[in-house]
Amino acid sequence: MIIILIIGVVLGIVLGLYVPIIPQAYVKLLSVALMASLDTVFGGIRAVKEGCYDSQVFISGFFVNGIFAAFLCYCGIRLGIDLYYVAVLAFGLRIFDNIAIIRRLYLKK
Amino acid sequence: MLQGKQAKVLLFIVCVILGTMLSTQFRSAEQARNTIAQERAENLVEKLKAAEKENRIMEEKVKKLEDKSGNETLAKEIQNLKSKAGELPMEGPGIKVTVDDSKVVHKPGENPNLYIIHDDDLLRLINELRAAGAEAICINKERLLDVSEIRCAGPTVSVNNNRFSPPYVIVAIGKPETLESALKLRGGVIETLKFWGISVEVEKSDKLTVPAFKGTRHYEFAKPQIKAEEGETK
Repeated sequence: MIIILIIGVVLGIVLGLYVPIIPQAYVKLLSVALMASLDTVFGGIRAVKEGCYDSQVFISGFFVNGIFAAFLCYCGIRLGIDLYYVAVLAFGLRIFDNIAIIRRLYLKK
Repeated sequence: MLQGKQAKVLLFIVCVILGTMLSTQFRSAEQARNTIAQERAENLVEKLKAAEKENRIMEEKVKKLEDKSGNETLAKEIQNLKSKAGELPMEGPGIKVTVDDSKVVHKPGENPNLYIIHDDDLLRLINELRAAGAEAICINKERLLDVSEIRCAGPTVSVNNNRFSPPYVIVAIGKPETLESALKLRGGVIETLKFWGISVEVEKSDKLTVPAFKGTRHYEFAKPQIKAEEGETK
């Protein structure tokens, strides 16, 4: 299973090399969406370790979080509020939290 | 809850999307870094072009105003002063000296600096030409005036704050024979340079042109002394 996922990521990276570059104005949106997605992924790993993983929750969370984060950030740009920093900060904190919990769960085993 | 196979496929898609986002973001960030440098260069080029255009317009204005003034003696005086200040291109008989780095393959262990032209070689040439009565001199189309420097700038030589690399072409207006013999004196500049294999070609000509001084000059510290005060110079 893990091998399939890694192949998926590598395939995605290769695919990304052929995707046209995003215009400068939307780079921030993409970065926020990326942070949200990464956050969901780490949350998913944590859920697997805790034994309460639900793929429906995970997959819906992946897309909804990413899109919603990008949308919020877009609104922020329109309104002149730098929601971008807030989003990056919040997701960053959560990613670190999740990583810490994953580590502890591993060590406990 | 989704069934096993479906969930796997969806997870795979999620991973592909994640990877795509990662590499796209990476490339966009990379490009952003490049475009900033490029934009700056483009901006500067545009500014330079605008400044040059403005310069041209101003020059034309000056010319028009000078023509308008109409006073013939005044115009003549201006012409005279301008030619003395080096702001007019000059032509006349003179010599053209082409100096190039040595083509001699230097022996190992020897200082390669001896085989290339330095600012002081050019300075000596210029000095010799001036001593021989050259009236207007330029190096690589850069007019030499009292404010012009000839200075070592890394592998190049800076004249009037413009950098030049060999070969250097010096054009001097004056009596061709005098200028030539001043350079070709026994034990003179050319002989010394030839010793190191530096090629110096002297060409006499009846009609040479020396361009006008392109830079600007203004006095920040020096002011003309209006009243001649006696005793001050002592």
